[in-house]
Amino acid sequence: MNRKVALFVPCFIDQALPQAAIDTVTVLRRVGWDVIFPEDQTCCGQPGFNTGHWETALPCAERFVRVFSDYEYIVCPSGSCTSMVRKHYPELLASSPSHDEAVAVGKRVYEFAEFLVRIAGVTDVGASFPHSVAYHPSCHATRELGIYAEPLELLRAVRDIDLRPLPNEAECCGFGGMFSTKFGMISAAMGDTKAVNIELSGAEFVTAIDPSCLMHLSGVFGATGRKSKTIYLAGVLASSSAATAGARE
Amino acid sequence: METSKSSARENILARIRAANARPHPAPPPVAPLDAIFPPITNPRQRFLDECAGNLTEVFQTTDAAASAEALETILSTVPAGQVYVQDDASLFPFVALLEQWRRVRMSSQGAPAESTQATLTLAHGFVAQTGSVLTSSACGGRGASIVPPCHIVYGRGEQIVPNIAAALARVQAEIPGASYVGLITGSSRTADIEKILVQGAHGPRRLVIILEG
Amino acid sequence: MSTAAQEFLRKAVIKSADLEHRATIQRAVTSYDAAVAKGKLRFADWEAARTLCAAIKADAIANLAQYLTEFEQHVTSRGGHVHWAENAEQANDYVVEVAKARNVKTVVKSKSMVTEEIHLAAALQKIGVTVWETDLGEFIVQLRNEPPYHIVTPAMHLSRYQIADLFRDKLGENVEDADPVRLVAAARVALRRAFFSAEMGISGANFLVADSGMVAISTNEGNGRLTTSIPRIHVVVTGIEKIIPRMSDLAALWPVLATSGTGQPITTYSTLVRGPRTASEPDGPEEFHVVLVDNGRTGLLANPETEEVLKCIRCGACLNICPIFKQVGGHTYGTIYPGPIGSIYTPRTAGLSEWGHLSYACSLCTACKGVCPVKIDLPKQLLGTRRDFIAAGNVKPAERVGFAAFRWAAADPARFRLLAWMGRKALAAVNALGLSGTALDPMRVWTKYRSPMTLPKQSFREWWRENGNK
Repeated sequence: MNRKVALFVPCFIDQALPQAAIDTVTVLRRVGWDVIFPEDQTCCGQPGFNTGHWETALPCAERFVRVFSDYEYIVCPSGSCTSMVRKHYPELLASSPSHDEAVAVGKRVYEFAEFLVRIAGVTDVGASFPHSVAYHPSCHATRELGIYAEPLELLRAVRDIDLRPLPNEAECCGFGGMFSTKFGMISAAMGDTKAVNIELSGAEFVTAIDPSCLMHLSGVFGATGRKSKTIYLAGVLASSSAATAGARE
Repeated sequence: METSKSSARENILARIRAANARPHPAPPPVAPLDAIFPPITNPRQRFLDECAGNLTEVFQTTDAAASAEALETILSTVPAGQVYVQDDASLFPFVALLEQWRRVRMSSQGAPAESTQATLTLAHGFVAQTGSVLTSSACGGRGASIVPPCHIVYGRGEQIVPNIAAALARVQAEIPGASYVGLITGSSRTADIEKILVQGAHGPRRLVIILEG
Repeated sequence: MSTAAQEFLRKAVIKSADLEHRATIQRAVTSYDAAVAKGKLRFADWEAARTLCAAIKADAIANLAQYLTEFEQHVTSRGGHVHWAENAEQANDYVVEVAKARNVKTVVKSKSMVTEEIHLAAALQKIGVTVWETDLGEFIVQLRNEPPYHIVTPAMHLSRYQIADLFRDKLGENVEDADPVRLVAAARVALRRAFFSAEMGISGANFLVADSGMVAISTNEGNGRLTTSIPRIHVVVTGIEKIIPRMSDLAALWPVLATSGTGQPITTYSTLVRGPRTASEPDGPEEFHVVLVDNGRTGLLANPETEEVLKCIRCGACLNICPIFKQVGGHTYGTIYPGPIGSIYTPRTAGLSEWGHLSYACSLCTACKGVCPVKIDLPKQLLGTRRDFIAAGNVKPAERVGFAAFRWAAADPARFRLLAWMGRKALAAVNALGLSGTALDPMRVWTKYRSPMTLPKQSFREWWRENGNK
């Protein structure tokens, strides 16, 4: 009997980047886990929290805690949304009756790569991706959750992959949620700086555990005529032959 | 003016005290300094290495005669002009020497002139951790270590202390009266132009130590 | 939107597109990063050093009244004067009064961000006093009539050629090849005259030491030494938060400040001033004044959430790591303190509604948190500032409506699906009409700088309903 994992799909992935979640499901099933998608979920509240609209974020968070309270393992294809639940719910819900439950749920929410390596105990998911790839260590995942080694372990186990180091890898790509639209000119400049480094790495693709970063970079590449392509980590891991490779987000 | 001065003071302190009155969380445990900095097993060698790194010139001598020779060598590279000397008995032998080649002004005569080419002073200690000289206004005043293009310090090997902590302890214990105390680490420098390090900004371009014994 | 916010956006547009500026800052930061990496190797345990310095400053702030009065008592017992100033006006009035009473015509200043904050130079110039900035970077921006670009390296945005041109124009000094060594020498000569003719030297303070009443001043150039040694009056202008409990605390703070500030083991001149010259000393100022400036600091202290901001030792590390600072530079902020610390400090002390936009000019990458040597949780402070900015009513109508709609939708998955579906259909219509990227495109805020996103045929939920359970 397979173990079960509940899927927490960030709202923007649900609507704009569904392939990221679909590839996540593919990989989880391939390594022997059953996936449940609680359809009651809406949004974790990060957009409201990050923009100072805590009164909007609070009910989202309380709802999230209710929806996911029964699941032992919850996986999220996004470092920043995982971090919202694990690191920021305690503060947001400090005065809420859901506070303690939120802390408990936070311990059971995992970012996708973190889950594969630390809970599912796998690094080789049978993937093949014969392309050059640079890994962009997205900010929340790396700094708030301490996830850095796991995605690289998973990538190294991919057959025929050519992993390239990324110069100045730790520098933010410039997405930053609403920052990307409130300060679009700065966001784009930061994306451009990252794009230059990606080109310097010589990699054809850039990957990350945050599809939002990739969505932003893809837009920057397009606007500046760059040839680089983005692919979410699960997209690399879901690939099992050269024929299925492509610029999927 | 007095009234408003004291009321500003009282207002500020009142606001601070109101804030300080609330309970504060206990701070996390802290490591002692000797866990934070690596131990210094050979202070003299460390001092010499640091000086090489921060461009302090060090002349190591064995006795007074060798020190006098070192001073002569140093002076030969200092442009013509007045030398200012800390008025301390242990420097008198050098004064006699200096007067052979230069006009000498003693610190007891007043501040160093703007055109002074070099000063000669003692120090309270030398810090191995950073290659620094511990000085104060008791070592010939404030200007002696900052006005001239060349500052010469005469000291003894036994004055070397391992680290900044030891130097500060010495300040509290031994230099109670001086109005001005300082650690000088190398020559004056700036990187304000394109982050390029240039020596000799406003202070001395050269810091030279005659380390005897 | 406040005027300051509009100005920020206007300047940000210009600077974000300025690739030469970007390259200049990148070079400076790369040099800094290499020096700091080397500097940290001198510590057996850098993280423990941060924890210790954070604890020292936390103790200082939590017991501020006690330490400040201890400091004051030591200073006055040795003939120094301590003046408490609630605001910029009181601080400037005091210094101006001293200058008038003592017939001061020329002032030399070493670097002090507080004096910029209160606009002291302007107050002195108004009574006819000539003020010379003696820190080389400050001297350069003073000649250019512009504010400092960075709290540690004020002229970081300029090339040697620009500085050579400046010296030719303003000092009549022609330096061949813009050689930095000759440029520094030219500045030294010009400022020498000032040092030796000034009646008053004004300095800041890096630390105020409570147990011995000493003022700690760190410089590399020696300008701080000359400012506080030659003129007959020495005035220290300092924020009240610069206090530390003990002299022995400097054994940690001096190396940590230098490492975070420039990557050095310690700054060249690490000085402790006790007061005016004593009777047995050959030189030094006859008068010593310390002006303790509040100017909003007690406000930060009164709020338990923002108290930790007062731990800041002004090292500049958070500026150097901030990816936003590296794109827009120090002049875009329009404040004395730019970067992460400035984006918290300014709204909190100079007006939340006017300056709160700065707390949003941040992608929340949290890199600043990792480099702050006194462990201020800068991202948490930025988020808190945003929250208070909104709570104070600073919401644009469109944003208010948007978030109300979002809150309504997020309360129920059916509503959520509906609103999202409507959004996708509207966007598809915009694209079909060829309006993508134009002023009528609701996604214009996105597409102004990025190629438009391809809309998926189905949301994940829709896919799951069709395929999920296979």
